[in-house]
Amino acid sequence: MDVLNHNFIRLGLTRAKALQTAIRFPRETRRRFGVPKSNAFTRTIIQRHIDPLPYFSVSLIFSKHSKQLKGTVMDNHLDNLHGFVDTITSMKETIITNIVLIGQVPAPTFKEKKRTSAFMERLAEFQVDECTTDGYRNPIGIIKGTSEKKPPIFVVAHLDTIFGKDIDHYYTIKENSITGTGIMDNSVGVGVLLSLPDIFRKLNLRFESDIVLAGVIQSLGKGNLRGIRHLLKTWATPIRGAVCIESGELGRLSYYTDGMIRCEVDCSISSNNGWEFKFKPNAILILNEVINQILKLRLPQKPRSRVIIGKISGGSKHGVIAYNATLGFEIQSNSDKMVKSIFNNIKDVVEGIGHEHEVDLKLKTLSNIHAARLNFGHPLVKSTVAVMKKLNLVPISEPSESELSIFLSRKIPAVTLGITRGENYHQQNATVEIEPIFKGIAQIIGVLMALDSGGCDEA
Amino acid sequence: MKRSWLENNTFHYSEFNNLNRLVEEKQRKNLKISLCLPTLNEEKTIAKEILIMKSELMTRYPLLDEIVVVDSGSTDNTRDIASEYGANVYEATEILPDLENFKGKGENLWKALYITQGDIIVYLDADIKNIHHRFAYGLLGPLLLFDDIKYVKAFYDRPIAIGKSKIRPTGGGRVTELVIRPLFSIFFPELTQILQPLSGEYAGFRELFEIIPFPIGYGVETSIILDIYEKWGLDVMAQVDLDKRIHRNQDTRALGKMSFAILQTFIRRKRKLGLIDFTEDLFDEMIQYNLVKNEYMPDIYKIEGHERPPIIEIPEYREKFKKPML
Repeated sequence: MDVLNHNFIRLGLTRAKALQTAIRFPRETRRRFGVPKSNAFTRTIIQRHIDPLPYFSVSLIFSKHSKQLKGTVMDNHLDNLHGFVDTITSMKETIITNIVLIGQVPAPTFKEKKRTSAFMERLAEFQVDECTTDGYRNPIGIIKGTSEKKPPIFVVAHLDTIFGKDIDHYYTIKENSITGTGIMDNSVGVGVLLSLPDIFRKLNLRFESDIVLAGVIQSLGKGNLRGIRHLLKTWATPIRGAVCIESGELGRLSYYTDGMIRCEVDCSISSNNGWEFKFKPNAILILNEVINQILKLRLPQKPRSRVIIGKISGGSKHGVIAYNATLGFEIQSNSDKMVKSIFNNIKDVVEGIGHEHEVDLKLKTLSNIHAARLNFGHPLVKSTVAVMKKLNLVPISEPSESELSIFLSRKIPAVTLGITRGENYHQQNATVEIEPIFKGIAQIIGVLMALDSGGCDEA
Repeated sequence: MKRSWLENNTFHYSEFNNLNRLVEEKQRKNLKISLCLPTLNEEKTIAKEILIMKSELMTRYPLLDEIVVVDSGSTDNTRDIASEYGANVYEATEILPDLENFKGKGENLWKALYITQGDIIVYLDADIKNIHHRFAYGLLGPLLLFDDIKYVKAFYDRPIAIGKSKIRPTGGGRVTELVIRPLFSIFFPELTQILQPLSGEYAGFRELFEIIPFPIGYGVETSIILDIYEKWGLDVMAQVDLDKRIHRNQDTRALGKMSFAILQTFIRRKRKLGLIDFTEDLFDEMIQYNLVKNEYMPDIYKIEGHERPPIIEIPEYREKFKKPML
């Protein structure tokens, strides 16, 4: 059965009707998309006939010689983007409601159950075709595409936050801002993910691929991206591409990920009394020595490498030496080999200091990811840049240690995009601007359309 | 005591979460519904309330016909923010301007009857931090689905915010437990079945609200219950569990003033009904003390306890709503 016949039968049309329609449609299509008649435009389904709504289809089926056409169609998709921003802006209340209702449910890493339930309930309300959780309790909604053959496109946002559940998560909305715990990481992202089914409906968009909307759990810190790892590991079919959504910053374009090892050093001093323990070392000072030794390591500029000292905690009272202390850091480099080499150096440092000071000093690896990337010339990156430029956004490239790394490590083309601008990123008074959100969403839709049109399939 | 009221007329909001059914009933009965938010310096919460209600109960499910904010003269950005998010915003003093002006929540609720169009009015406090559309549809459910219910009151598990960022799991409702419940137990034991008579969230048919008086201040919740009870009995009332409500915590002194106003209203109602008799007039000043430089200084707060008459007695109202002249 050829593709055309297959698709029309799915739509409940006869072969004869399908052929009539196939003959009739190219002219309309050419007019809508500005395609010259001479183009090799063999078979196109633009509308889903069984539905009275005039859907924009991004499910164009091209002939083998249609590279030029793809470019033209992409240009036309780009031309629609500004109109999309206006329509999305008209949905302001629903989008902000989703951001608020999901963001106000606390979801510290490993304790995301309530937010997962809220996400599922909300997704079901917005009538996606399938709404379920995978074996790891990642909530997933699927919007069925028009083709059964094209692999799905993933849109993901991590559900978990760094904030405990006893922290006030209630948001304050002003004329152009939303303020509250976790709004920048990642309530806007999750709220927008929830809003996409309604936005697609409002924009009359239908995709050829299934769109899989996944809120993934256990992403941050010790979560070590377990949610997305499990989801992709157990997903049975190939995946066409992915867009990872983060609240901020609008203009961010991440298409590569550094190699990374996230570690903790725990120092623990015996609290036993007795003469042999009279001059006890101080756990904080021991870690201070570890930091000093790490800072002395010579790190190359190429491959670009760094050690980020991110967390430290320890001690109990001002006047008592610290018996316990913990240091958290990450080793990052665009070379996995260099990450491993630096890790080994730090391991030697830790073992040496532990031995010399006779303290219990342990180095633990919390998580690690491998360096992976798309080239700047990859069609997905180029399409994303085009979408952003069309929306007057200046793309700023930076590495991402998020879900992106897991997609790329599995050779699935993916980018991470930010939705809006904000401040106080990881604080309880984090604030986002409302107005840029709508452009941020249009950008995501533009990239999804690029993926769906097949423009990124050949990489 | 009619125990069955508690069993028969107590609901959980989840019994009404089929919003399509509520919309169908509303349309079948040809009703209009208004949401009224009385405000005074609520810039932190007002936008969220309007936005969520508008999105969920106007855009997605056409249950509400209008959202009205009646403001008592906020000095922050409450009115601007409310307008920005699409509510119809009024200053209380602009409504029925020829009448003497009073300031208070009850005044706003009473004046809302004049400017709203709805056959059903939903009143929600504007300081709810965890606002959700269940606060409105939960109250509307019994009114739309049960013909004999005309007034619905909310109750909840009420955690109160402590400090800047922590939530305590239980607490709140102190005035209810220390003032109202003892009074109801002594005078109207049947009304003790209303679990949170002071909750600021309730809804009812205009035909009830328009023929009862409204105290201008804190006593309004108590007086509405007493008046409806006196005129129509307990069976026209229902209560709905709205789960959790998080709001600003008030200090003990503020609660003292609230209790004063409630007691004042309660005693006036009892007097009107001839159930108690005082030979002297009541005082209308709440006196609290502060320690200032080792001296106890009285802090006197006048609570006059003005009351608006049933709005149906106001000629402008009768004219606007085409009610027969009295």
